[in-house]
Amino acid sequence: MNGQYAALLIAIPLISAFFVPLIKKAGRKAILSYVIAVTVAQIAVAAWVFKRVYTTGKPIIVMAGGWKPPVGINLYIGYFAALFVLIVAIASFLMAVFNLRAMKTEPLDKYAMLFLLLMLGATGMIATGDIFNLFVFMEITSITAYALVAYNKTGEAAEASMKYMILGGIGSSFFLIGIALIYGATGTLNMAQLAQFAGLVNSTVVQAALALLIFGLAVEAELFPLNAWAPDAYQASPHPITAMFAAFVVKAGLYAMVRVLFLFQASSGWSGIMKLLVIMATLTVVFGEFSALRQRDVKRMVAYSSISQIGLAAFGFALVGKAGASTGVASLAVSAAVFHMVNHAIVKLLLFLAVGYVAIALGGTKLEHFKGLGRRMPVTAFSITIAAFAVVGIPMFNVFWSKVKLLIAGVEAGYTWSVFLILGASVVEAVYYFRLVHTMWFSGEDVNEKISESVPIMAMMLALVAVIIYIGLYPNTVWHVVQKAGSDLLNVGSYVKHVPLINVGVRP
Amino acid sequence: MISAYYFGSIALIMIGLYTVLVKKNLLKILVGLSIMETGVNLLLISIGYISGRSAPILSEGVGPNQAVDPIPQALVLTAIVIGVATTAMALSVAILLYKKYGTLNIEEIRRLRG
Repeated sequence: MNGQYAALLIAIPLISAFFVPLIKKAGRKAILSYVIAVTVAQIAVAAWVFKRVYTTGKPIIVMAGGWKPPVGINLYIGYFAALFVLIVAIASFLMAVFNLRAMKTEPLDKYAMLFLLLMLGATGMIATGDIFNLFVFMEITSITAYALVAYNKTGEAAEASMKYMILGGIGSSFFLIGIALIYGATGTLNMAQLAQFAGLVNSTVVQAALALLIFGLAVEAELFPLNAWAPDAYQASPHPITAMFAAFVVKAGLYAMVRVLFLFQASSGWSGIMKLLVIMATLTVVFGEFSALRQRDVKRMVAYSSISQIGLAAFGFALVGKAGASTGVASLAVSAAVFHMVNHAIVKLLLFLAVGYVAIALGGTKLEHFKGLGRRMPVTAFSITIAAFAVVGIPMFNVFWSKVKLLIAGVEAGYTWSVFLILGASVVEAVYYFRLVHTMWFSGEDVNEKISESVPIMAMMLALVAVIIYIGLYPNTVWHVVQKAGSDLLNVGSYVKHVPLINVGVRP
Repeated sequence: MISAYYFGSIALIMIGLYTVLVKKNLLKILVGLSIMETGVNLLLISIGYISGRSAPILSEGVGPNQAVDPIPQALVLTAIVIGVATTAMALSVAILLYKKYGTLNIEEIRRLRG
């Protein structure tokens, strides 16, 4: 089959989203089943793309309208994008199933539409090969995210959405200024061509532009100090949406940031920008963990923990600045960071699924609701326990491997101080997750009535638990995949080589 | 001469940013965001502007050498549409906020914290 069919990754969710109003009359069940069907189709295409990219070893370049880049906009689906597009599709599918239980608030047709558009936006951000197209997909993601955060129509939801919107608005304006500077200096918006020109442009312009782009994308990637919106939004949005935020929306933001940064490796001002990113990432980890410790609301606590885990992945990417892009440390750091993103997607999907399910069954996510959960909803409590052990980084679970590899890379790159801070923060993380586990199993002797758990949700939770343990026991299978994905991010030379640029425009 | 456009657009961005960061009324903040967007759009346009050339519409007497750079104009068209969508979204959430809290002062809209 022709690789151009990979454009279906964008086309399927986009066109299906706008068909939702047609089946509006058919009722709640029909709308939600339609969403499940669309996500299944998306998984099929994503799996085909994944298989093709990983067997041929070549990225799929989709050229919109047959125009060759840089004249036309192209999609670049390499190792990294193929992996994450698949993760986006699978996470959306699981949450589409969860919707059947979780979503009672009307108007569901609007919800279904926004749900599909959120999936589309994240897929597009990961797959695109054009920096302005990246901006458009980022705005699709964030506008749908604003709407979804406010979807519950409570005061809290509106407040969280408004905070997100103001920060996101400033961020997107800064991102656009960065694009303006880059376009003014290079005369191109195609990522491959930008990478070619990176060494030729005035380094001050590149630094200023990259700083602005980081600022814009850090809002989406939830890096300190631009993540104030995140815990509110996670807490206030519908439960499936929270899980989607943690599983892939934030990952798409982080990926976009890293991709744009790595394109400018050849520029002389690059390592200074990466130093800034190391500091931001370390502070994100520390801030996230210490804020999580104070929370009495479990959903908000997990949200803070999610922020700090993303900081850890960003830390891995930022190590490249000091080590130099072609060294072994750099490839270890980037692969470990990608591995961490994959692991974090699985674990946080499970945690938010289980916590959301508790909220639906028991009416809230305060710590008190989790008292005696081990007796009331044993499977859910078991899943939360496994996920908590995994996040903390206990051996035999998946996050352990990526955390260890990240910290080794940090020491080898010479950022011992950051590694110490991160290890200290991990202890804090262990404290609050064990507190949750303790509350679930060893307190609340007075509550004993059992709640029957829904079979599909139990099946999803146990499947995710199985994946966590499988990766924990046999990390090498996934490690080989993420190493390829990491090299795809890091090795800009091969990125440029694979995009069939035609020779137009002037070199700066 | 062209630098005047740059200064103008940067000034607009700064005014917008100032409004967003300092004002307490939600509607003023949203106006600030719009001003900022306008400034960014003007900056993009002025980057593609070449003094003395006409709009990039192919017609009699206007070839590629007589027109300004069309790409920033295409970008700005997209950015304007996105800006309108964001503003509309923000205003509708502001209406919801006013219904729930009875105020638009951002210092009083603070139920989520910690």
